[in-house]
Amino acid sequence: MGKESSLSGSLFYVFTVISAFLVILFLLGIFYILFSESYLAIREFGLIGFIFSQEWDPVRDLFGAAPTIFGTVVTTLLALLFAIPVAVGIAIFVTEIAPDYVKAPVSVAIELLAAIPSIIYGMWGLFTLSPIMAGYIEPALQQTLGRLPIVGILFEGVPMGIDLLTASVILSIMIIPLIASISRDAFNLVPSIVKESAYGVGATRWEVIKKIVLPYSKLGIFGGVILAMGRALGETMAVAFVLGNKHQITTSLFDAAATITVSLANEFTEADTDTYLSSLFYLSLILFAISFITLGAAKLTIQRLQRGGAR
Amino acid sequence: MRPYRRRRIENLVAISLCTLSAAIGLFWLFFILIDVVIEGVGALNLALFLEDPVPAGLEGGGLRNAFVGQLLLTLVAALLGVPVGLLGGTFLAEYGRGSRIGHIISLLSDIMTSVPSIVIGTFAYAVLVKPFGHFNGWAGSFALALIMIPIIIRTTEEMLKLVPWELREAAFALGASYYRVILSIVYRGAAPGILTGILLSIARVAGETAPLLFTSFNNTFFSVDMNEPVPSLTVTVFQYAMGPYENWHAQAWAASLVITLFILIITLLGRFIIFRRYGKWKTL
Amino acid sequence: MEDIVIDVQGLSFYYAGNIRALKDISLSIQANTVTAFIGPSGCGKTTFLRCLNRMHDLYSGNRYEGRILIDGRNILDKDVDLIELRSKIGMVFQKPTPFPMSIFENIAFGLRLIGIKNRTEISERVEKALKDAALWDETRDRLHKSAYSLSGGQQQRLCIARAIAVKPEIVLMDEPCSALDPIATGKIEDLITELKQDYTVIIVTHNMQQAARVSDYTAFFMMGELVEYDRTERIFTNPSNKLTEDYITGRFG
Repeated sequence: MGKESSLSGSLFYVFTVISAFLVILFLLGIFYILFSESYLAIREFGLIGFIFSQEWDPVRDLFGAAPTIFGTVVTTLLALLFAIPVAVGIAIFVTEIAPDYVKAPVSVAIELLAAIPSIIYGMWGLFTLSPIMAGYIEPALQQTLGRLPIVGILFEGVPMGIDLLTASVILSIMIIPLIASISRDAFNLVPSIVKESAYGVGATRWEVIKKIVLPYSKLGIFGGVILAMGRALGETMAVAFVLGNKHQITTSLFDAAATITVSLANEFTEADTDTYLSSLFYLSLILFAISFITLGAAKLTIQRLQRGGAR
Repeated sequence: MRPYRRRRIENLVAISLCTLSAAIGLFWLFFILIDVVIEGVGALNLALFLEDPVPAGLEGGGLRNAFVGQLLLTLVAALLGVPVGLLGGTFLAEYGRGSRIGHIISLLSDIMTSVPSIVIGTFAYAVLVKPFGHFNGWAGSFALALIMIPIIIRTTEEMLKLVPWELREAAFALGASYYRVILSIVYRGAAPGILTGILLSIARVAGETAPLLFTSFNNTFFSVDMNEPVPSLTVTVFQYAMGPYENWHAQAWAASLVITLFILIITLLGRFIIFRRYGKWKTL
Repeated sequence: MEDIVIDVQGLSFYYAGNIRALKDISLSIQANTVTAFIGPSGCGKTTFLRCLNRMHDLYSGNRYEGRILIDGRNILDKDVDLIELRSKIGMVFQKPTPFPMSIFENIAFGLRLIGIKNRTEISERVEKALKDAALWDETRDRLHKSAYSLSGGQQQRLCIARAIAVKPEIVLMDEPCSALDPIATGKIEDLITELKQDYTVIIVTHNMQQAARVSDYTAFFMMGELVEYDRTERIFTNPSNKLTEDYITGRFG
């Protein structure tokens, strides 16, 4: 297969090959360009030095990635922590609990919500959620969890609504539809005859969900979570409005912070020295590497497990 | 003697918790949607579409330039991205089917779909803005096209693979060459799915902001010159929402509503095409 | 008079949309017998089987009329506990339906549901069930492997083992051999004949030889109606209804 005898056939073939290989070219191109653009900063600060330095001082031309990597990781993990139970709950509700006339509309609504652009989430976060967080939710958390020993340090400071917690909540609301719709698809792949035979031995609805549906579809859910993680890692606009872009590592969720994406969005057009711009490219390269490696590893793992026939 | 009671209670508790978490999630999601509709409708007016922005701080004006710019950027991105995605997907599903390289490219496309859009923006800046010394529309469209390509490649591949192999064999048996078979049989069979893939990729990039921030940048004037900065709705929303003026906020809400409606309509259209073709809602 | 386990009185069944799938069925089934339901596709035999453990209740819009007495109690009553009902009635499906867990866990699943926690007891009953299902010798040294590693016939015997592990009174089988090769089918048929010592077995089959080989009683269904119900040898040698005769002699269906 693959050989065309006529001229137009051969041309068509060649164009398809070129188009497909452009994917490889672009990925290599992104890597090469980001690397060469950040070369100045790499030479200046090194790899370990850059990643672990908390310095971010445009005036003295000193840059380090630790605060933004911290912000990126914390917001992503918190968002996943909030989103996974809710999203899986929605998927269970839609596939196993809701009556038929509720299923379809909720399903469609979730898919539409997944299509809403992130800037809408971000703006809503700034104008609507942030005041709610600052006025009600954060003081309430401070009054309760904030009084406990150890975890209390997570809730210190003045609740402003522009902080790690608000950003994580928005991020989680944004990725809920994504995880929910992929989990729902995975649940729908469980053969109904297998579910019936579990009901047949007298299992309750919850027992069928817990023992049959969830184990059967765990790979699918994992895939959805990974995709959502990729989205959260690289999300800019949903968090740009409410994170405050402050390069600091903090213990309190009520403090402003920065992620790689937010600092790129806010500072890229303002970078006035070569080292500054190069350091921003360096951040971009690091984000690219993080998302490429985690997603690639996850994809390969899923493929290997699927091929192994495990479920 | 009877464990049934305990199990029934556990069942009831667990099912209630699932329903509750579904309710919580849906509450927030609908809260956003309704908020955007209420705030946006309040700020909608004809001037928004027909007038260009007035200087900062003054009342009135509209976002005509940004609407036109957004459409232009998206259209050029589609012109760049659709052919590449379509042909690339064709290679993966047809000539390269089952081959090692086809498998690798397919995997890389999946990963590329998840490359942060702002990273793609920095890449476009380095190759199309920096060398020319100023922001321009081409860089913005190029960045958007890079986001579209892997999406279209993957959906095209999946949709072509859904066309039964026997159909191709039947056409081969009539003496057709492979590319004839692809063009006149396979594409026809997969057309609705491919179209939906393209629509969804357009919906995806139409709401993108991050890759435009430092490529097409923004422009308070009406401009359709792709060699110059081109205004876009999304970047305008970002600047207006972060800005200090009340009427900016109102216009940002109105613009958000328009973007959201545009994307929801395209998404629904795509789903509807799939629904008509395959008789069920399907996630791509 | 023998012991009647299931007594169906005037049962009609409607699928969602008021489609009548069963019309006024009445029959009684004796304890420790094998009863076969036969009939052409779409005749209602599987629908009827699924009434007996109220499987239809999983999908909305379905409706029953009439009474099904099991041990004297009408299981169509509103206050019947479906969970309890289904753990008294085992079911085996057309295709093997192993759960996504190990062989051992597949059987322990049902045991844990009925509240057995003691690990030795669980192990003993798993072993007993596997022996009863004639699967012990083939699985004893790989109990903790995935159930998907078994062959189709072994998977189906695992499903039977799973159904009988909880000691139900009745075992429902919905064309249990339709996905299996002749050798695996033979083993399951032998097993069915064994099972009737302890259980009441009801089997839906489209294979008349199978019905003749394994069952004591046969019910012939057509178009949602029970046409004839009698001892198997009589149905196959001297049916009283013309329709039955036409069907078993292969004139239609």
